[in-house]
Amino acid sequence: MKLRHYLFVIILFWGCKEKLPVIEKFGETSYRLVDQNNKEVIFPDFVKDKIVIMNYIFTNCPDICPLSTNNMRLIQERLKKEKIDNVQFISLSFDPEFDTPEVLRKFAGIRNLDLSNWTFLTGDKSTTNSVIKQVGVLAVPSDSTVFKNGRKIYYYVHTDRIQLIDPEGRIRKNYKGSTINVDEIVSDIKKLQ
Amino acid sequence: MKRRLLIIIVIIFTFNLATPTQQQKSNNSDIQIQKAWARPAAKYTNSAFYFVLENNSSKTDTLLGAETKISEEAEIHESYKKDDDRMGMRPAGKIAIKPKSKFEFKPGGFHVMLLGVEKDLHIGDKIEVVLRLKYAGKIKAQAEVRDIPMTK
Repeated sequence: MKLRHYLFVIILFWGCKEKLPVIEKFGETSYRLVDQNNKEVIFPDFVKDKIVIMNYIFTNCPDICPLSTNNMRLIQERLKKEKIDNVQFISLSFDPEFDTPEVLRKFAGIRNLDLSNWTFLTGDKSTTNSVIKQVGVLAVPSDSTVFKNGRKIYYYVHTDRIQLIDPEGRIRKNYKGSTINVDEIVSDIKKLQ
Repeated sequence: MKRRLLIIIVIIFTFNLATPTQQQKSNNSDIQIQKAWARPAAKYTNSAFYFVLENNSSKTDTLLGAETKISEEAEIHESYKKDDDRMGMRPAGKIAIKPKSKFEFKPGGFHVMLLGVEKDLHIGDKIEVVLRLKYAGKIKAQAEVRDIPMTK
């Protein structure tokens, strides 16, 4: 009787441990990009065997992208506190014509972000477009501001997203970047460990 | 005679300096700016300025715009939901602040966008932005650069 009871509890526990579906996989596909130090990286190969938390930004965005980036920072701090390692953070710019490695480095530096396990990526527009297309992120130039000196900047209508990618390069869950629940993603990361 | 004239000129000049200025208008009790803060930004990039505007008067006032020495331009903008997944941002024009009400300029909503900041804005820096209102005139706001909203 006692054994049956224990078996029931074990089965119940496994049933509750919900598995995350595979949304998309990179498979053999890889992309040549550059990081904030202008160093070439092959994505997602350079994060192979790591859990990846990834968001998609443009640095001229003063509101939604900083919210998403700050949420990435909160997740990073929480993982450090819980001593969960083997997680890499990536922020990819979908506005690479403006977001050069130097601009990305300054964007991270001014926010005192810990880049020990966080990489900012940019590259050719065609490559960044291919990445966001594969991961299901949309970014379309919309309104703009023209400065007195004639300089023009565009604002993108874009998917507000943070993604969880498993160590096999498979996207396992999408979250709203600006309003993500840190408890939820940390719990999901634990499921992938 | 000349000395008297000089004294009168000095008095007039002093009085003129003491006439209502932006600083005095910032003490106008009809309009209050609270919880002002701004996002960090590297030189030449953009920041956002957030605050709560409280209209204690009995008539609607309108925020017409903003100006600051900290950036090339300052515009009232709005982040908006395009659909379930997508967000966008657009200039928002003028904002009416109803009598006896508060209007919150907050992340993910309305904000004053500081376009092309003239220097790096680091966490902990203080900046000044002047808001232009239809009736209350120009009101100075001091804001701290932070990466999380003001709570008090």
